[in-house]
Amino acid sequence: MHGWIGKIVRVDLTSGKITTEALDPVMARDYIGARGLGTKIMTDEVDPKVDPLSPQNKLIFVPGPLTGTYAPSGGRYNVVTKGALTGAIAAASSGGTWGAECKFAGYDALIFEGKAPNPVYLWIKDQAIELRDARHIWGKNILDTSDAIRAETDDDAKIACIGKAGENLVLFAAIMNDLHRAAGRSGVGAVMGSKNLKAVAVVGTNGVTTADNAAFEKIVLLARDKIQKHPVGGTGLRLYGTDVLTNILNQVGGYPIKNGQDGYFATADKLGGETLAKTLLKRPKACFSCIISCGRVTKVINKQFAGEGEGPEYESSWGFGGDCLIDNLDAVTKANYICNENGMDTITMAATIACAMELYELGLITKAETGGIAIEWGNAEVMVELTRLTAMGEGFGKKLAMGSYRLAESYGRADLSMSVKKQEIPAYDSRAIQGIGLNFATANCGAAHVRGYTIAPEVLGTPMKVDKDAVDGKPALVILFQNLTAALDSTGGCLFTTFGIGAPEYAGMLSALTGVEYTQESFLNCGDRIWTMERQFNLAAGLTAADDVLPPRLLKEPLKTGASKGSVSRVPEMLPVYYDLRGWDANGVPTPAKLEALGLSR
Amino acid sequence: MKVKYFANLRDITGTKEEDWAKPEATVGDLIRDLVARYGHEFERWVMKDGDLWSLVIILVNGHDVRQLKRFATVLAPSDVVVIFPPMGGG
Repeated sequence: MHGWIGKIVRVDLTSGKITTEALDPVMARDYIGARGLGTKIMTDEVDPKVDPLSPQNKLIFVPGPLTGTYAPSGGRYNVVTKGALTGAIAAASSGGTWGAECKFAGYDALIFEGKAPNPVYLWIKDQAIELRDARHIWGKNILDTSDAIRAETDDDAKIACIGKAGENLVLFAAIMNDLHRAAGRSGVGAVMGSKNLKAVAVVGTNGVTTADNAAFEKIVLLARDKIQKHPVGGTGLRLYGTDVLTNILNQVGGYPIKNGQDGYFATADKLGGETLAKTLLKRPKACFSCIISCGRVTKVINKQFAGEGEGPEYESSWGFGGDCLIDNLDAVTKANYICNENGMDTITMAATIACAMELYELGLITKAETGGIAIEWGNAEVMVELTRLTAMGEGFGKKLAMGSYRLAESYGRADLSMSVKKQEIPAYDSRAIQGIGLNFATANCGAAHVRGYTIAPEVLGTPMKVDKDAVDGKPALVILFQNLTAALDSTGGCLFTTFGIGAPEYAGMLSALTGVEYTQESFLNCGDRIWTMERQFNLAAGLTAADDVLPPRLLKEPLKTGASKGSVSRVPEMLPVYYDLRGWDANGVPTPAKLEALGLSR
Repeated sequence: MKVKYFANLRDITGTKEEDWAKPEATVGDLIRDLVARYGHEFERWVMKDGDLWSLVIILVNGHDVRQLKRFATVLAPSDVVVIFPPMGGG
């Protein structure tokens, strides 16, 4: 095989047995890798009804065929499992260098099953694979864990690990690699913690072979050129990072504030990428084989919130910022650091604090519960402290560790959780931008912007501008973006390359790399297949169309200020059209004909 | 009217916002005037092939001129115009 290595590692943590097996070429062709391949393995091997934190759940680390090649931004991997936060299929994507190193070691996927009797980590150096005792590392943060494992393995080891949050089963714990990159969402880190798996350390000394070197080089250079010439992929993201979106979303009235109570923040500019670039930014940073460099290496000097690390991205800046009515970028960045250092998803952490602030304002959360902390809107010091308490598993942080849905539900106000499928909605107001709301409602992993980023056409105008307020045509647009993203995620590529290239270039790169002929149509068909398979997993897990809903606030409470004043989300109008276009019945169940067409009939 | 700049347009213009006035003006009048004032560096981030670059976000009171009449969009003295060069993220 080319592009794919052709080998999968299976680790039974319960027995300690490690085996390798061949990757089925047909499975590889149809599901590509990463998110798609991981979902296929989960579907084949795991009962969707399992408790996500039980030994019966599996945790799969999967790079894609492009991972480890010189394809633009070809360095990503996915962690696929049943999400601890959501109970739905989870596929959390991360950059950095870990995914490429896994390929260099010679593996297309690592499947973890069972539960280790004591904390362990997996150490891979090419063909040599062993489970090692991690009891002495348990309890350490991401930096100390990485240092300790490198000291006893290899200075060049690439490490994916959990921090205290994953160990403590914080339901939105992340898996961190390269210190600052996160497989962030849906609680994949909690699943890792439930298995007593502290880390996966890898050194690989091999490469990825190519079916047609000349053709691959030609199309990769073309793709890189297109990205570099695109103002966003080539310049904008390096200059300002993703946080440049703050002012854009705010100016169109789609920047959620106060737990989604409104869509405009008067002082949002203090949190934006422009301010970040002039204050905390030390330098931009790129992942493996990346020419975009959206990463932000930052430093906070302000003694109250001092620290160094990476971030914030837009979603983190928004969550700890506007959603909590805070415009202190130092504090926002500090909270981001705490999440990275201890392995937590910034979006869910921040949105859960915002939800807690509203519950406190309503008198449902009291100081008696919080240890005397007044969880008031706009209090930056409190926001940072709550993040720390959650990471450490202390005090009221233990309650925040459940995420906003379970928190709000415990006070009888589940409606105040701004989430879908128990996963918090990111930084785009569904009332101001209609298509993204439909994407949030239907994303198989729970609300996520990285499943169908219609912000690109609806707000930014790339690859074409569509009216953000319209609903006509949006179901088809959302489906196209969701299918493209599912296929792209499965290659090991990065979504940001779509600021320059799309399905034709990805089909071309995959074809030249693997020797398997992909067309734009067959590539998007893979995306449809992966999306539908995720849907099937969720339905079998017990989710229904009733889970494809936005919080009532977004459907009933019009925006009060800003450019989108008066708007509500019209997802209920769009959803039946979406189901129909997907080839699903009125209950959101894929029809037999659709499954047959995608090769998913059993 | 008030004109607000974002991202690198702030560096190019040297300001975050400024006042601009012209009777019965359009967005086209405004942009042509700004190009004349701030030169090629401004022009290359806003214009393409003699027209408004399709990736540039110009909002008049929060409404995208690409959904209005682009350069022909009429401006009123009380309007707030914000201009973003091609930027994005996710």
